[in-house]
Amino acid sequence: MPLLCMRNIDKAFFGKPANLQVCLEVQHNEIHALLGENGAGKTTLMNMLYGIYQRDAGEILYDGQNVAFSSPKDAIAHRIGMVHQHFTLVPTLTVSQNITLGLKSPGHPFPRRRDLNQQIQEISQRYSLEVDPTALVSTLSVGEQQRVEIIKLLYRDARLLILDEPTAVLTPQESESLFVVLRRLREEGHSVIIITHRIPEVMSITDTVTILRDGRNVATVKTSETSEQELARFMIGRALEPIGRSAAPPSCAGTALQLSEVTLVEHGRSKLGPVSLCVDPGKILGIAGVDGNGQKELAEVILGIRRHSAGSILLGDAVLDALGVMERKNLGIGYISDDRHHDSLVLDMDLMDNLLLKTHTEKRFITHGLLDRKKIRQDTARAVDAYHIKTSALECPIRYLSGGNQQKLILAREMAGQPRCIIAFQPTRGLDIGASEFVHQELLRLRDAGCAILMLSADLEEVLDLSDHIAVIHKGEIMDVLVNQDIDLTYIGLLMAGKRGDERGAVV
Amino acid sequence: MNRFRDALGFLAIAAILLLISVLLILAVGSDVTKAFSSFLRGIFGSFYGFSEVLVRATPLILAGLGVAVGFRTGFVNIGAEGQIYLGAIAITVLGLAAPGLPPVLMVGLAILLGFVFGGIWSVVPGILKARFGISEVINTIMLNYIALNLVGVLVRTWLKDPSYPYPMSPMLPAAASYPELLSPTRLHAGFLVALAAAVAVYVLVFRTPTGFEMRAVGLNSRACHCAGIPVYKNIVLSAFISGGLAGIAGVGEIAGLHHRLIEGISPGYGYIAIIVSLLGQNHPLGVVVAALGVSALHVGSLSMQRAAGVPTSIASIIMGTLVVLILARKSLFGSTVKLVREN
Ligand SMILES: Nc1ncnc2c1ncn2[C@@H]1O[C@H](COP(=O)(O)OP(=O)(O)OP(=O)(O)O)[C@@H](O)[C@H]1O
Ligand SMILES: [Mg+2]
Repeated sequence: MPLLCMRNIDKAFFGKPANLQVCLEVQHNEIHALLGENGAGKTTLMNMLYGIYQRDAGEILYDGQNVAFSSPKDAIAHRIGMVHQHFTLVPTLTVSQNITLGLKSPGHPFPRRRDLNQQIQEISQRYSLEVDPTALVSTLSVGEQQRVEIIKLLYRDARLLILDEPTAVLTPQESESLFVVLRRLREEGHSVIIITHRIPEVMSITDTVTILRDGRNVATVKTSETSEQELARFMIGRALEPIGRSAAPPSCAGTALQLSEVTLVEHGRSKLGPVSLCVDPGKILGIAGVDGNGQKELAEVILGIRRHSAGSILLGDAVLDALGVMERKNLGIGYISDDRHHDSLVLDMDLMDNLLLKTHTEKRFITHGLLDRKKIRQDTARAVDAYHIKTSALECPIRYLSGGNQQKLILAREMAGQPRCIIAFQPTRGLDIGASEFVHQELLRLRDAGCAILMLSADLEEVLDLSDHIAVIHKGEIMDVLVNQDIDLTYIGLLMAGKRGDERGAVV
Repeated sequence: MNRFRDALGFLAIAAILLLISVLLILAVGSDVTKAFSSFLRGIFGSFYGFSEVLVRATPLILAGLGVAVGFRTGFVNIGAEGQIYLGAIAITVLGLAAPGLPPVLMVGLAILLGFVFGGIWSVVPGILKARFGISEVINTIMLNYIALNLVGVLVRTWLKDPSYPYPMSPMLPAAASYPELLSPTRLHAGFLVALAAAVAVYVLVFRTPTGFEMRAVGLNSRACHCAGIPVYKNIVLSAFISGGLAGIAGVGEIAGLHHRLIEGISPGYGYIAIIVSLLGQNHPLGVVVAALGVSALHVGSLSMQRAAGVPTSIASIIMGTLVVLILARKSLFGSTVKLVREN
């Protein structure tokens, strides 16, 4: 008897189906992948299991019993736990306080913290989830925060764990250690449902895969009996095309984006060492590096979101140093941020308004000083069409779009109007393979049209696939800039770890 | 489904309020039917009663609009009360300084000056918030006390009417009055000013690029900063407009009713405006409806006191309960509704 059996689940939002007759069966001791394009309905399905949404039709059998959870609390009581795409930890509390939050621990309301920490230590050792119970959550890296989320579930004795895109925010190394944990969980008798867009990950750790498309089941297969190609085909309905990065067109004259000796000092600490870079029109410069090594600072300094402390930034002939964000964008810089919910979108506004964030001062949308709703609607409809954004309506708050579709809207906004330069920071984070392919093609298309692109990504493969030149960043400094041809990966690895070329001989 | 839940929630709130009123009326030993009928008669029974509803709604609409504009941008303006007084000071100063102005010019200038005075009163906490991140809640409240006492000082010193022993300013020239609309009631053109302001605020907030920026800043200022929308400018601007609208409310109380500056022209309109804005969900139309409702509640309760001996405090109790219920609505009724539906 399977641990979980969801049968013929239906769910519609505003009359638009997000799940149609979906079935999912999870066995004991199994790592089960839920695969599907952005907006396929994966999160929705899990939210129904977890009691966040109520299903319209269908039944859920858990441990042989018919269940209907009315809230996550209910689900947790039945030993089901979920880690959301966006974490829900309180940054100002310690790890151990976060883990026991909302529980009546022994001694409530004055829990014996030392005993609790002991218990947490035991869990973390048993599953090799290293974390310090007394540390403040705000001091933890993303990977560590995720461990805390998982310990939180194990502390509540979860037997079935749901992880929604856990690896989207992790470095490859962090993902590897997460997989070690997952395998350990399986040995200890837990089952895991993992949502991910990365097919290699699916191949390496799961036992079974269920694929959804447009809210319906496409297939359920044993991982050992399938291949990456087949999964890709199930997912997007066709085979994936390899990125055909043609040679860059002969570069147009001059430099598009140029940074000379740019530094950023905040609160007396240097965040960005003197950085000198230039990106030619029609070229992609990829910045490789471990997450958190000054990529965000670099991107924001170029946009003017943070003001650099010294040095100068040029776009073509224009000096950007004294300009505000708006003026820089008007000169033709587009920005794709790595944190779409905070930096790029107003979640409670609809699609039209989110596109307007960049264009609300443009004359074509204003008649007699007022915003012209009709034109804005048309423009939005065009963007939704061109970028294949799945939404129930243009008036739908962007909050309710799936992550991938939110990202597509940002692309539509930032790539509109022939930009001269794009700063693409983790442009495919959380995107399905089809959408990532689309983003890559768009970036290449813009490049061929003469746009200068600075791409920052923690995904080395993405950098290698797209870039004409590769720069490696470490602790806010550019270690080296290489032409993307016959690249020595160990060398890049060393640079990413902060070991310079001249030390190379010594290290190897 | 959500509509259904909302409607049920509001019905439940109405039922609870009705129950509380009945209990209170019984507690003070009055006759329930008599109380309710006199409540309704007070509002709809006479021309005068109804006009009083509009008279009292006038400052509530204006100040409520002001609070709403602030809320939309994330500027929590608790200082409408003080800004109302600043508007009242503005028209008094103008009327006394330039008594010879023709009526149209006088009223126009008074509104403008009231807007500026009220605006300045709230732009100070606005700047403190936008630039230094200092809580506007505390600052606007503090400025209320300063404004109130400023009026107290003014009507005893520079603006005092020398021919009377009371703390009040001389009568303002007739040119500084709003035209009466329905003599002999107290209804004056200020009500039309309030309605016009509601339309203007609607257009500004929902139709103009500036209003779009203000709303966006209120919802996610970080994203606005990244998009190049000036967060600072928008907070300061909305603070200014917010206080300005409350200032116009103060102008109206003088130009329409009192015709001279006295202490206590506002029985807490500035605070009730926060409730009005909350009930109206920060939408201009909602604010107008809520202001009329709140004002009717007060007028009705006055009549209830006269006819059935029920103290008017009941109106305040009802309003307080209403706010608590509205705020707690989602968590209170969400689960009950679910239970009802599932059974
Ligand atoms: N609360 C909601 N209101 C309205 N529509 C919603 C809501 N939640 C989800 N949807 C819609 O349902 C569809 C499925 O969304 P869901 O979040 O389940 O996708 P997903 O498979 O998790 O995608 P992603 O990989 O991008 O996270 C989407 O089209 C989305 O717009
Ligand atoms: Mg999802």
